[in-house]
Amino acid sequence: MVPLVLYVLLASTMFVIGLYGLLTQRNGIKLMMCVEILLNSAIINLVAFSAYLPNVNGQVFALFAIALAAAEAGVGFAIMIALYRLYGTIELDNINALRW
Amino acid sequence: MYQDYAYLIVGLPILAFVLTIFLGWHLPKGGGFFTVLATFAGFILSFGIFREIYPNNEIVHQSMHWFASFNAGILIDPLAIVMLLMVTFVCTLIHTYALGYMEGDPGMARYFAEAGLFTAAMLGLVFSDNLLQLFIFWELVGLCSYLLIGFWYRKPSAASAAKKAFLVTRVGDVMFLAGIILLYTNMMRLNLVLPEGAYLLQFQTIYDSLALIPPDQLTWIALLLFGGAVGKSGQFPLHVWLPDAMEGPTTVSAMIHAATMVTAGVYLVARMFPLFYAAPDALMVVAYIGAFTALFAATMGLVMFDIKRVLAYSTVSQLGYMMAALGFGAAVGATAVGVSMFHLIGHSFFKALLFLCADSVIHAVATNDMREMGGVLRSMKWTGLTMLAGSLTLAGFPLTTGFFSKDEIIILAFENGAFGLGWIPYVFVILAALLTAIYTFRLWFLTFDGEPRSDYHKHESPWIMLGPLVVLALFALFMGMPTQGQFYDYVGNNFDHFGVDFEELAHIGGHHVEHGHVHEPFIFKILPIIVGVGGIIIAALFYSRWKRFDPSMVTSERDPLRHILLKRYYQNEIYTLWFAEKVVYGIALVSNMIDLKIIDGAVNKISAVSVGFGGTLRKVQTGVIQNYITAIVLGVAALLILIQLATMGVAI
Repeated sequence: MVPLVLYVLLASTMFVIGLYGLLTQRNGIKLMMCVEILLNSAIINLVAFSAYLPNVNGQVFALFAIALAAAEAGVGFAIMIALYRLYGTIELDNINALRW
Repeated sequence: MYQDYAYLIVGLPILAFVLTIFLGWHLPKGGGFFTVLATFAGFILSFGIFREIYPNNEIVHQSMHWFASFNAGILIDPLAIVMLLMVTFVCTLIHTYALGYMEGDPGMARYFAEAGLFTAAMLGLVFSDNLLQLFIFWELVGLCSYLLIGFWYRKPSAASAAKKAFLVTRVGDVMFLAGIILLYTNMMRLNLVLPEGAYLLQFQTIYDSLALIPPDQLTWIALLLFGGAVGKSGQFPLHVWLPDAMEGPTTVSAMIHAATMVTAGVYLVARMFPLFYAAPDALMVVAYIGAFTALFAATMGLVMFDIKRVLAYSTVSQLGYMMAALGFGAAVGATAVGVSMFHLIGHSFFKALLFLCADSVIHAVATNDMREMGGVLRSMKWTGLTMLAGSLTLAGFPLTTGFFSKDEIIILAFENGAFGLGWIPYVFVILAALLTAIYTFRLWFLTFDGEPRSDYHKHESPWIMLGPLVVLALFALFMGMPTQGQFYDYVGNNFDHFGVDFEELAHIGGHHVEHGHVHEPFIFKILPIIVGVGGIIIAALFYSRWKRFDPSMVTSERDPLRHILLKRYYQNEIYTLWFAEKVVYGIALVSNMIDLKIIDGAVNKISAVSVGFGGTLRKVQTGVIQNYITAIVLGVAALLILIQLATMGVAI
């Protein structure tokens, strides 16, 4: 059996990758992908701990989180399409109409 | 049985007000018959109540708890019932006349609604059983007068006259309110244990506690209340609004001058007479101001050419008589109330009559200026004769109502002098009586006698207008003789119902009730008749067809006295140009400055601080997502470290 620490390590690696992406990228789609990576790292943690305890609650929770993530991605991409139609770009630096 | 429905006396006119203001537009004559019927029903009710309470000399008192320490109540004593009868009767006639007069005016519904409310307010004022309720109706009367004087609000002069009436009476109202507050605080300080159903500010309670209030406070309260009466009743120096109040429809002038509004001030002083009696200094002020107003206004009535203005000054002058009569109460006690009220009632009949007649003439001749009239009697017999009746009684021709009432006031003035309270008021009132006769008949002769001085329409008014004139003329001439004696007793003994002990009150005031009559020398007895008839003869010699003298023989264009009278003692200059435009405007400028610089300045500074702070702070919102994320990550990291430290037991 794979030791728990490896799962946690994987999860933290993904988390840091996602965070890095969020902090460095300017493209809306890329940012959303990074958010998904962050979310998935958390879900991996949930499943790993659930398998080790053992307690099935974590896995049920993970399923819900995936469903929610899908919905959130749907909304997010819709926003991106709307933004693209409006500005002709999804480079977020250029979308600052509400800034002071 | 009628007294159970006493509240309807006010309730019905208010109902008429509501009906006419909402439905009047759809009804013929603007729904005016609602107001007429409601007022007439009020008269029937008042008369029924009078018939019930007069034989046994009872009073009606109903009261209802209101808020924590006040009440709303109805008090109908002799003083109130005579006022109720007069107001409902005269108002019914005036409203009936208005049905003809206002015919065709687009604002007819509004007129009758406001007139109904005006009547209701005055009736409510009269039958209040406490000072606070009286004050509320008092203010309502002021409001209605404002609305009605400014009835033709598109006319700038009417709008400004309405404002003037409102603002000038307001000066008095503030004093009245201050008087109520002062009275209330004084009564609170007494820690009275009130019997069940009695309240502070109820007249009964006020009369009962007069003896306990310090005399100097009483004087102040009386003077402040009198200040309110001065404003409402057009006494010097707050009389300036009354002649301007002509700008409204003439029926409104008739209402204001005769039945509602101006009599309220006299009524207030009469109602609070025990209080004034306990403060003889205040009563002295009342006597002097009243007598002075009587003379002062009469002199101005002498030179006016506007028919309504002459009548307006005569109202001011007659109100001066009523006030003076109350003031003479210092010498003769509560009899003065009866005398003053008798003049008030008589005056309301003949003044309503005179105004309506004048209006009937103006209606036909289409001018207010007496120089353009003359000879109107030939085309308007009924109007002319009824106006003659009104003029005779105003001039105090023997055996008319005005003769009895004015004569009695002059006798009081004589007694006032004889008891050592000063002869000046006597001189004033007797001179005013002479001038009254002169200006009244100058008015009548100039209007109705002689040759027409301009080309006017010659036609008589319709019967709906003449009917009220005839009724009023009969009352103006003949009401006085049969009722006089009973009236003095009935109203003069009003305060016996409240157990007011005038001997005790006189003791507080430091004077004593004079019993018995002073012997009046014969010449003084007939002096009122001499000045009354003499004044009529003088007017006839100068202005009628039997003219022997011309006014230019006694006065010329350059005569300073004539000049000052025509300029109305420079009142306009003093009040408007000097007081209003210099003093008040100056104060207004200073307060405007304070408002702009200090109050607004402070507010602006405070808001500028937060705006500046916000402006700096919003720079943080860069709009770059990465910055936000960085902040979030750093924040979460800091939080984690803190939690870690806390679990490791490090004291933070």
